[in-house]
Amino acid sequence: MRKADKILIVSIMIACLVLIIPIMQNAPVSKEAVVQVKNKEVLRFSLLENANYAVDGTLGKVSIEVKDGAVRVKQENSPHHYCSKQGFVDSVNTPIVCLPNETVVRIEGQEDGEDVQIQ
Amino acid sequence: MNTKKGVILAFLIALGIVFQLIESFFPIVMVVPGYKIGIANIVSLFALYAYSPKDMVIVTTGRIFLASLLQGTLFSIAFLLSVSGGLLSMFAMILAYRSKIFSIYGVSVLGACFHNVGQVLAITYIYQQYFMQLFLPILLALSIVSGLCIALLTRQILLRMKGKLGLWKTSI
Repeated sequence: MRKADKILIVSIMIACLVLIIPIMQNAPVSKEAVVQVKNKEVLRFSLLENANYAVDGTLGKVSIEVKDGAVRVKQENSPHHYCSKQGFVDSVNTPIVCLPNETVVRIEGQEDGEDVQIQ
Repeated sequence: MNTKKGVILAFLIALGIVFQLIESFFPIVMVVPGYKIGIANIVSLFALYAYSPKDMVIVTTGRIFLASLLQGTLFSIAFLLSVSGGLLSMFAMILAYRSKIFSIYGVSVLGACFHNVGQVLAITYIYQQYFMQLFLPILLALSIVSGLCIALLTRQILLRMKGKLGLWKTSI
């Protein structure tokens, strides 16, 4: 075993460690929510930090709350308040739709499992 | 190439085929899929050090084709993986041998590493997916171990065979 062999083996080990770092970092998928008004993206925010946002809907302000990785429409101006009654949503598969305000809140990210199971 | 050398190369190919078949009967079940020690590489390494890079190419390609013919996997995906890994590993081993920097250990470890790299490249090309790349660091780390094992065995064989097949010029 020469010196060059030892250098080669150590450098391969370092290459392994370097290659494994990006894989480890990619593991937690950061989720983002996208707010669309009239089919145009007006707001995009991360679900990792708790915050309040507001966008201008057709009938007035739509206030959106982020809490513990989930998002809900807190307050809005509409006849039946369907979207604020829907409550917190944390799945990619269920968007919050507020038709009178023409506002859609959608979570982007990798799909987590099936949305409905029919037996 | 005289008759004696041709016969010995044919014997080496036959030995490599037997090694590869025996190894495929006992898959080392591990966390990493597709990991093998690669005992058949002893034959290639022996041909490289006992004769020349040209003879290693003959032995390795002959072994890959004939072993997959006997296993019934000729031109299947397993065969393509074997070929891509084998070709890249031969290339790396010949370069390392010609550079005369490395001893048999370094040559063997480089060959084992590039065998894995070639296989992962082939898998990404065939399936158009990147899941196998997640295993590349682990496979590379394990290939150091298998490369050292193969080098150790081949070195012992070469030392014991010295003077029986004609002398070789390069130091082990």
